Amino acid sequence: MSPAMRLLAALPAAMVLLPLLAVAIGLKVPIALIIFLLLFGLMLTGMPVSISLGLTVLSFLFFMSNVPVTSVALKLFTGIERFEIMAIPFFILAGNFLTHGGVARRMINFASSCVGHWHGGLALAGVMACALFAAVSGSSPATVVAIGSIILPAMVAQGFPKRFGAGVITTSGALGILIPPSIVMVMYSVATNTSVGQLFMAGVIPGLVLATMLGLTTWWRARKNNYPRLPRASWVERFRTFRESVWGLLLIIVVVGGIYTGMFTPTEAAAMSAVYAFFVAVYVYKDMPLKKVPKVLLDSANMSAMLLYIITNAVMFSFLITNEQIPQQMAEWMLGRGLGVITFLLFVNILLLVAGNVMEPSSIVLIMAPILFPIAMKLGIDPVHFGIMMTVNMEIGMCHPPVGLNLYVASGITKMGITELTIAVWPWLLTMLVFLVIVTYWPGLSLWLPRLLGMMS
Amino acid sequence: MLKFLDHLEEWLIAFLMAAATTLIFVAVVHRYAAGLPIPVVQDWLLALRFSWAQELCIYMFIWMAKFGAAYGVRTGIHVGVDVLINTLPESVRRKYVLFGLLSGALFTAIVGSLGANYVWAIGHTDQTSADLELPLWLVYLCIPAGSFLMCFRFLQVAWRFFKTGELPKHDVAHVEGVADINPLSMDDNLQPARAGKGGQS
Repeated sequence: MSPAMRLLAALPAAMVLLPLLAVAIGLKVPIALIIFLLLFGLMLTGMPVSISLGLTVLSFLFFMSNVPVTSVALKLFTGIERFEIMAIPFFILAGNFLTHGGVARRMINFASSCVGHWHGGLALAGVMACALFAAVSGSSPATVVAIGSIILPAMVAQGFPKRFGAGVITTSGALGILIPPSIVMVMYSVATNTSVGQLFMAGVIPGLVLATMLGLTTWWRARKNNYPRLPRASWVERFRTFRESVWGLLLIIVVVGGIYTGMFTPTEAAAMSAVYAFFVAVYVYKDMPLKKVPKVLLDSANMSAMLLYIITNAVMFSFLITNEQIPQQMAEWMLGRGLGVITFLLFVNILLLVAGNVMEPSSIVLIMAPILFPIAMKLGIDPVHFGIMMTVNMEIGMCHPPVGLNLYVASGITKMGITELTIAVWPWLLTMLVFLVIVTYWPGLSLWLPRLLGMMS
Repeated sequence: MLKFLDHLEEWLIAFLMAAATTLIFVAVVHRYAAGLPIPVVQDWLLALRFSWAQELCIYMFIWMAKFGAAYGVRTGIHVGVDVLINTLPESVRRKYVLFGLLSGALFTAIVGSLGANYVWAIGHTDQTSADLELPLWLVYLCIPAGSFLMCFRFLQVAWRFFKTGELPKHDVAHVEGVADINPLSMDDNLQPARAGKGGQS
């Protein structure tokens, strides 16, 4: 082993042992430093994020404080004993019902009849189909799988370079968490007590703007390279494909309309959308035989349980840092240096983009939001705007290595290596970075629609 | 015996998922249906109470979360930050993976014991939940039961990794039912044969 490798190998162990040692011999080290060294050390060993959060809290309670440890067991239960959190399993279930073949294919047909005759044809239809599918699914990788596995082979068959198609779908799939329903937004709302309804509404316009920007990039690149186009579809054809895909699209009406009119709470809307998705998949489109339902239920339960387990441990962790007043101290430190809104937002963006390199979105939101949110509030940043900004950051994190989930999914579909895909996505990734700057420094973009609808002042 | 436990775990969480969804659906439909002025039916609907639905839904999902987390260890869905350790030589990586799995077992064992303690203490009181009036110890039983099951799963996975060097891996790119569609056999307008090259119109 080279010395550098040796150092790397010892890094996680050192990060775990040093803080514990410092406490054992009674060194005066800031609590925040100990907690974060321990947490990141445990994480770097590759153990599940939820376990590293839990162990950090436990070792803190055992060695450094006199909060009774029994309260931990209680927190494990009461931490997720909130009806709002239960929207997550429902949205996952709804998405899983509709990810099965048929809905995505009908949306692609509708999209290609609308925009297929422009430059970039099928690729442009891919962007639009991703945006449509994002409105029934709250997850990005699911969007990439559903749209990508159908449209990518078709694009290659039409003569698009493989790279181009992979780049378009990997990045457009990220729309899944910006256009409601969105699981990441529910996570943010859980961590900060922001209204899910407001967040969903605020995500609509930025989602459409990002879809347009990605579409423009696609169009421009396709025109330059003269990529194939589809024949123009007639209005009859457009209407027919719309009517076929409308059952899937109605799901977003159930969710957003139900929440907006006050008919349902967000969690109820999620449950209704799950039941609706079940009926559409099994009885309307008949894509899924009834005997497959238990498998979908089990997969959704598996995914939801994993997320709920992270939430439980993240709630304990945020209880710990709030108890130690770490966010307040950080806020005072920042304000004391005369840091303004602009610098803070820049700092947050860089921090989240770096975090996006190593962790997946739900964990980042659950760990970072409780720390950053109080500071943002002190600076007078709107909670909903801050949430949308974090979501866009998470989107970008999903599209670049080393842990971008979308990349791995796309690489599974296209059989392309991660390195090649990384090169393939850069024009769209750059577009997303420009979009991030716009979202960060123009709160009006996110807040206009919820304000117009009178959902917030 | 182990097979039975596996199936029980799968059935329990799939059932809880379905039951909670149905429950909230029925409760919402009931809320609106009871407002319709249909004689007899309305009286009957108004007599039904669904105020406990939210509470039951929460409890069902918490049970699902605890046992689903144990199932997740078996399917390898609990993701961690493996960027660093994947660059390390195999012998070192192996140690870290084992350390991670055993830490998981340790954490769940501690939480399970704390939970058992708590359930024991609360079992000697007559505290009940707010709406359903279930005894609280029964509701909280999922903490020790789920955690100990999860601890067992961590030890199982760790043992298999120690023996064979294999970890359960959750495949994100695979979605049931999508992969088996042949894109060229579909009846739609995406076929290369019918698609024009280079844009006419």
